[in-house]
Amino acid sequence: MSDINNEADFKRVLETLGDVQQRQVALLFVKHVLHLSDDKRLDRVIKIAADSDATEEEITGAHKIAHAVTFDSHARCGAEGHWSDQAGYFAARAAVAATTSMEHSRVGGPAWQAAMQARMAHTTMLIDDETDQHSAHTECEWQYQCLSDYLND
Amino acid sequence: MSASIEKGVNALKRQMDSSVAAFFSSCVHCGICAEACLFYTETGDPRRTPINKTEPLRRIWKSEFTLMGRLGKMLGLTKKVDDKFLEEWQELVYDSCTLCGRCSMVCPVGNDIALMIRKTREGMAAAGQAPEGLIGATGRAVTIGSPMGVTWKALSAQIRHVEEDTGLKIPVDVEEVEYMLLLSSMEIMNFPEFIEAVAKIFDKTGTTWTISSEAFEATNSGIQIGVSDIAAELVQRIVDVADKLKVKTVISPECGHAYMAIRWDGPNLVGKHFNFKVRHILEVLDDLRKDGRLKVSGKETQKLTYHDPCQISRRGGVIDEPRRLIDMFAEDFVEMPDAGKMNWCCGAGGGVSANERADEIRLKVFERKKAQLDEVKPDGIISACSNCRIHLEDGLEEYNMDIPLLSLTEIIAEHLSDD
Repeated sequence: MSDINNEADFKRVLETLGDVQQRQVALLFVKHVLHLSDDKRLDRVIKIAADSDATEEEITGAHKIAHAVTFDSHARCGAEGHWSDQAGYFAARAAVAATTSMEHSRVGGPAWQAAMQARMAHTTMLIDDETDQHSAHTECEWQYQCLSDYLND
Repeated sequence: MSASIEKGVNALKRQMDSSVAAFFSSCVHCGICAEACLFYTETGDPRRTPINKTEPLRRIWKSEFTLMGRLGKMLGLTKKVDDKFLEEWQELVYDSCTLCGRCSMVCPVGNDIALMIRKTREGMAAAGQAPEGLIGATGRAVTIGSPMGVTWKALSAQIRHVEEDTGLKIPVDVEEVEYMLLLSSMEIMNFPEFIEAVAKIFDKTGTTWTISSEAFEATNSGIQIGVSDIAAELVQRIVDVADKLKVKTVISPECGHAYMAIRWDGPNLVGKHFNFKVRHILEVLDDLRKDGRLKVSGKETQKLTYHDPCQISRRGGVIDEPRRLIDMFAEDFVEMPDAGKMNWCCGAGGGVSANERADEIRLKVFERKKAQLDEVKPDGIISACSNCRIHLEDGLEEYNMDIPLLSLTEIIAEHLSDD
């Protein structure tokens, strides 16, 4: 498989993945932005979701935990927003996507949804970064490479 | 803003007009408004009845604007409006009212009780008896341009993100286009997918639009806290930019009170007609549907319901539009009891969600929405207000209900036809 280096190929390839592969790839995307959340419950979510022996009930439980983290980390209406905190919220949403089954996922599937949320987490983190040294684009490129590596393994 | 009881009383006096006089003169004390208010029905606390929340305004009206009240005041028989009294009422006026207007719908003499509660807030805010959360939000709205402190730098970062993801150009500060899109800070921070959804829909339908870098915020904390001068200033910022860019229509986003603020209250607040139209995003999408420009493909097969945001449906009149749009993609749509103009509020509007002190009661009164959802048992809930959406998610989590929340605009973007 040749390297993926554009959005159209990235999305197309993700859509061809089955349920298990979707979760595996989604988890790779989540792990890359996991450091942006200081909520340790997400570590447990990733651990459960990454366990190939996890039962459906355990995955559902992990999904609920990830959901709970999003509720606890969203920007409250009218409250002063902090973008670094908000990066954690999007990391949690990526974990929600990664623990959603293909059947219940929105358009594009769990891996695509996780990719979008992970990118948002990265973008959000950069908003408060005064050095402005990074580009939001780097997360996309990292995801392209990550998916290529996964498929080539 | 400096506040004092004197300023509060004067602000209440300034609220007196024919509507206030008619209101208090015609109220027959029937109590019907109580049964329409979820803060009463879900708590059973008689202090939380809508009419009781207007007591500060009533006291001033009676003591200053009625013959018997004036005589009573001369004899020292009137009940005072002082700091202690307003402090006691603060929790009723702000924490226990979302300004949803359901009480106004059932009043047999046609009184707009929600309007009176909002007028009461004018006095409360001037007296310094407003919740900290709303004071902070209002301050940031004035100084930064967003109640949550969202700057143009932050929004432009989100815009770049959307552009990279979609390959579409988001128009900024473009003159003489059809539409200028406003956004709520809640969308920018929690649901940036909304921007992407609008970009995709407008690209597909060939609609010209722009976002302004000078005035992008749709929400209006001045209305929620009850400071009309600030509410007017926030509206004026939008008016100035819309005029400068010569746009035909300003779009209010998926936010309930923003729509009321700019469309229905806006011209009254600034004291003049707008040179442009104001439409809610759902009205715009429904117009595009009618014109044959908005086409969707594929169906949602799960059972879906629609939560009517109070300020969009009941107070704003946008009731049929979302249903026509939902009909484009939903195979199995079910209405909640009392849907449409009499829908029950989620419990978070009118500044309640910005007020941490109100968290407990906000989740308590969610029991009404829970009962509605228990009755129809949907697989997904659609809404068109980001504040409702967050609170519904919060309520579902509180009551251990697992039902996904969906934005109507975002679902339509997902179903855009390739034709």
